[in-house]
Amino acid sequence: MTSKRFWDWFIFPGGVWIALLFAVPLCLVLALSFGHVDDFGRGVYGFTLDNYKDVFDPTYVPVLLRSVGYALATVILCLLVGYPVAYFIARHGGRYRYALLAALVIPFFVNYLVRTYAWVALLSDQGLVNNLLVDLGLSQQPIQFINTPFAVIGGLVYGYIIFMILPLYGSIERMDPSVIEAGKDLYGSPFRTFLHVTLPATQAGILAGCVLVFLPAVGDFVSAQLLGGPDTYMVGNLIQDQFFAASNWPFGSALTVIMMLFLAVWMVFYLRRASRGEAEVL
Amino acid sequence: MGDIGLNRRQLLLAGAGLLATAYGLSGCTVERPIDKSAAGDVVEPKIDGDLMIFNWAQYMDPSIKKSFADKYGVAVNEVNFDNLEAMMTKLRAGGSYDLIFPSTEYVLRLRNEQLIRPFNRSRLKNADTLSKFYDDPWYDPNSEFSVPYAYYTTGIAWNTNEVDTLTGSWNDLSNEQAWGRIFMLDDFQEGIGQANLLNGFYLNTDKSDQLQTSKDTLLDQKKGLRGFSTNSVQNLVSGAAALTQAWNGDVVNARNQVDDPSIFAYETCKEGVPVGSDLMCIPITSKSPGTAMMFMDWVLKPENAYKNVMWNGYPMPVAGGREAFAKLVKDDPSIDVNLDQLADSAMEYRLDSPEARQEWTRIWTEVKA
Repeated sequence: MTSKRFWDWFIFPGGVWIALLFAVPLCLVLALSFGHVDDFGRGVYGFTLDNYKDVFDPTYVPVLLRSVGYALATVILCLLVGYPVAYFIARHGGRYRYALLAALVIPFFVNYLVRTYAWVALLSDQGLVNNLLVDLGLSQQPIQFINTPFAVIGGLVYGYIIFMILPLYGSIERMDPSVIEAGKDLYGSPFRTFLHVTLPATQAGILAGCVLVFLPAVGDFVSAQLLGGPDTYMVGNLIQDQFFAASNWPFGSALTVIMMLFLAVWMVFYLRRASRGEAEVL
Repeated sequence: MGDIGLNRRQLLLAGAGLLATAYGLSGCTVERPIDKSAAGDVVEPKIDGDLMIFNWAQYMDPSIKKSFADKYGVAVNEVNFDNLEAMMTKLRAGGSYDLIFPSTEYVLRLRNEQLIRPFNRSRLKNADTLSKFYDDPWYDPNSEFSVPYAYYTTGIAWNTNEVDTLTGSWNDLSNEQAWGRIFMLDDFQEGIGQANLLNGFYLNTDKSDQLQTSKDTLLDQKKGLRGFSTNSVQNLVSGAAALTQAWNGDVVNARNQVDDPSIFAYETCKEGVPVGSDLMCIPITSKSPGTAMMFMDWVLKPENAYKNVMWNGYPMPVAGGREAFAKLVKDDPSIDVNLDQLADSAMEYRLDSPEARQEWTRIWTEVKA
């Protein structure tokens, strides 16, 4: 058996797996997005563009914009919190570096839904945080944290921040420390050195982190469902409701397809940048 | 990029294949048709295998399942659904369950779709004391496909420490004392239904102009909301809600979870009180329909009904169940359901045409968006 033949066979099980459990369902969603609902409320395949017309109905525009807005806020917060953390571990973690990374990663093995419920328990009106604030006299009355947009964004940040920290850690760790010394030798202040040396040198990690956080955050429904209020409806919630409450699978499918196209644009942008970045390094 | 390993010709081929698949699927439903040959067979009550129950979570006292299992030497298993639409989907896909718990409207839909099996109610020993309403209900003429499990009203619950200006109207969902800490049930029928009643319309109206008016009402009410949620018990007990639209049984449960039950009160509203029932049905995919029927009888047995109501807080329209609920609500009669209310089918949610159903769900989506 030639090595080419070997590799062809080697990818066969994985290829079948992907085809059956990913590509086929995806095609079904695509096909159903052109379908309609029958008298029993069942989705029926067909050839209509009505569902796509509905996606761009003015009613749903605020939902789409809100989702993008929350996701962008999530990306910015993740970057502001994640960068110092990744920087500290990569440059000053020393021999505890891997222990610190493990301490960050292990909580993320717990299901996202369960972690979000933990937030409900922490932030509810009579939750731990509010009890502490009232006991310390910092607040007269419990503060309404949950059922607000802030809680939803907070939940998203907590849910996806690891996807920011890991690529940042990778790029900061790979950076040659002597370039920072060079910046200082040229009389750069710590801030200017950071701005003109460290930041550009870790650009690839920043870009990867932003994209990896943005993509799942836009489509998220768990955070808005558990931590949200009346005005935090996201596109993920809209899609979920089409399948489980409104029994309009074709419209839910059309929303899903548009959503995936939108995310694919970002993904392609990211991949192009990343591959060009690699070419420059080589 | 550009190196995915597909050339133009392959891409075109793939596209053509996709189109052919779509054409082949056209007109098919999402779920492959299931074997409905059992749809006409009348079920006989006899032990014919283990039991798989498909129910809402926390809706049945586990001791009732255990005593049945011990008595008849079969396993009684339970899985749960989050909503009735998900239950329908699983049934259509051929999922095998022996006993399900749909609402009245869903019994009608299941019946029309031939997804449930008929049985002879007179073969149930404990069906004699069922409320008369269930002898020949609108959703199941002659009660051939269902027996009732529990029933409920929809009203408003509030925390008496924080709110004391209730007026007995659906307008209380905009109560000023509770403003910002009000929850509305996250259920399109309960949401639009109360707005219809408030505006003086028929609960299940399908007139577009009336639904538009109710949508505006909902958008006004939304300004005072803290959220849409069906988790009334948690919202009341955790203090998140000062006031919430709620099902009466949930108020019983909330009262059971606090030291002083009198802090939670419940009212039904003068514009109209939606009532509903959950039923027991045997799906056509059942592998042990006989055992399922025996179990229905077991659930309706007076001492089991009594235990179950004490456990889940929802009244059952059968001897034992009624007494248990009367005991639970003796301090707050407003939580009780007058059985005359059940006979008023104008106060039950039912969307008879698919168009009406779509319009309702669209309006609800627009309100939530």
